[in-house]
Amino acid sequence: MARELELIISGVSLGGLYALVAFALSLTISTTRVLNVAHGVFFVWGGALFVIFSQRLKLHPALALVLLTACFFVLALLFQWGIVRSLLGRSTHRLLVGSIMATFGLGLSMESALGYTWVTFVDPYPVFTSPLAMFPVSLGGVSLSGSRLVILGFVLVMVTSFHLFLQKTFLGKGARAMAQNFDGFLVIGLNPYRLSMILFTLAIVATAISGAFYVLAVPLNPYEGLPLTLKALTVVILAGAVLGLAEVTTSQFLGAIWAPAVSLTILFLVLVLRPTGFFGKGVY
Amino acid sequence: MSRPSRRATGVTGGAIALLCALPLVLSSTWLLVMFLSFVWLILTANYDVLDGFLGHINLGQGAFFGLGAYVATILLNVPSIQQLGPLTHVIIGAAALAAAALFAALMALPLFRLKGLYFAIGTLILIFLLQVLALNLGPLTGGSYGLYVPPAFFLSTFAGYYLALLVALASVGLNFYLSRSTLGLAFRCIKEDEVAAHSVGLNLMKYKTLAIVIASVPSAAAGILFALNSGFIDPNIALGVERSLLPPLMALMGGTGTVLGPVFGTAIIRVLETVFFHYLRLPVPSMLFFGITLLAVALCIPEGLMKSRWVKRLQPRGGTR
Repeated sequence: MARELELIISGVSLGGLYALVAFALSLTISTTRVLNVAHGVFFVWGGALFVIFSQRLKLHPALALVLLTACFFVLALLFQWGIVRSLLGRSTHRLLVGSIMATFGLGLSMESALGYTWVTFVDPYPVFTSPLAMFPVSLGGVSLSGSRLVILGFVLVMVTSFHLFLQKTFLGKGARAMAQNFDGFLVIGLNPYRLSMILFTLAIVATAISGAFYVLAVPLNPYEGLPLTLKALTVVILAGAVLGLAEVTTSQFLGAIWAPAVSLTILFLVLVLRPTGFFGKGVY
Repeated sequence: MSRPSRRATGVTGGAIALLCALPLVLSSTWLLVMFLSFVWLILTANYDVLDGFLGHINLGQGAFFGLGAYVATILLNVPSIQQLGPLTHVIIGAAALAAAALFAALMALPLFRLKGLYFAIGTLILIFLLQVLALNLGPLTGGSYGLYVPPAFFLSTFAGYYLALLVALASVGLNFYLSRSTLGLAFRCIKEDEVAAHSVGLNLMKYKTLAIVIASVPSAAAGILFALNSGFIDPNIALGVERSLLPPLMALMGGTGTVLGPVFGTAIIRVLETVFFHYLRLPVPSMLFFGITLLAVALCIPEGLMKSRWVKRLQPRGGTR
């Protein structure tokens, strides 16, 4: 029983982070139709910057998080101003191809910049993980990893606030309007450039912070960003927790090498059987 | 649908003759560079069948390449097939091409239920799935250690150059045929408006399946040539993501839906790659500049080179074919 509980906690906390990253990705895709392939790279950069701030510069983790947020706020604004803005006016097909190409180029250069900088200036061994020691928490005789619980708490807070943002605030309603009917959104006089700027900023900052939390539990390497985008797309279509659980249980019973095969197969089947996702209504 | 002008025919013939004569003067390194460029050109031209003519973004073009390479190499390692003499090449070639075509036809069924972004993601999943299978089915594929081609079956770069040139010409020729045939018209009709295409009596599934099958076979042939020439394949070389993502970029750079677009796009990206990765001794990684170049191209020439203002101005009567 203890083992199963541990498995579930680690599965759900990991799945929750994936879900968060994926939610941020889907928020930007469904509103602006810009497929940001570099999304996962921001996650990895978040983890890397957090490790640099907290481990190399010896900052308090909370201060490191604040600094991280500030950095990615600026990066996200640059991303929106430099790339998204010039893509937005294109026709659907051109927008999709153009965004894949532009963000793939950005992702490649960000990955190699990080990999190079890390190996040259920080650590010749290019894997980073957070130094924060997390004591195991005892819960009814079962010992649980503290960092997993912290991640779980972070995920719950973020999911709740994203939900409230979309349901209750004017901007959130605007985002839903933009996803549901873009022409209607324009007709009632809302500004797609401003809204997309806000959404991309939110998405990128949330993703980067998720990366910082991820390295508390699992090590990352600089070149995991682009595959991670695919994983996030998996989650956009699947439910995040399902993926986390499926991966953890597959690793447990079939061996870790088959975990990606299982999640990809599930994704493919869901994509074909329910093209808009488990719960989606089909915006496109 | 006019016939190509005499000048265009002359220029094309001249270019082909030049490419045929090139191996006589090139060093072996440059021959290999040209061979690999032809391999990329095949993938790019095939990619454009689905994007430029049918209007579907296929991010799984590399799957056909990898499938061809793997089927051929696996068969070459079977002792009873090795002893068939000249028949060996015919058998492995036919088996690998058939495997890719069959795979394409089978995958058409689920894939074409998807549209736009979802089609792109679905096809991208394909290559990742094949990659995971190649990694994990160790006894068959050698896993992450890869597979070696028996030395007796190596393909020299000189012969590979001509074979790849032939397949590349066939691929570009296929796109040329599509640009001025009823079949191509049907594809473009589906691209413009599926409902309208269906209502004039086109069998959508039939044409889409046909498109993905004819786009898969030359790519598989490129995979076979590549495997036989390099002598070694592993999941990263044969089924890496860039096998799937670079063809769209090259096609886009040149201009999709045009016959010469993939040719120019491939040429430009290959030149950039060669310069960045082999000639400029940069203090920082070349991938950084390569990525930035892609980004700049995507933002500055959205329609590709062949449809950009500068090229249109050069043409006498505004035609882009």
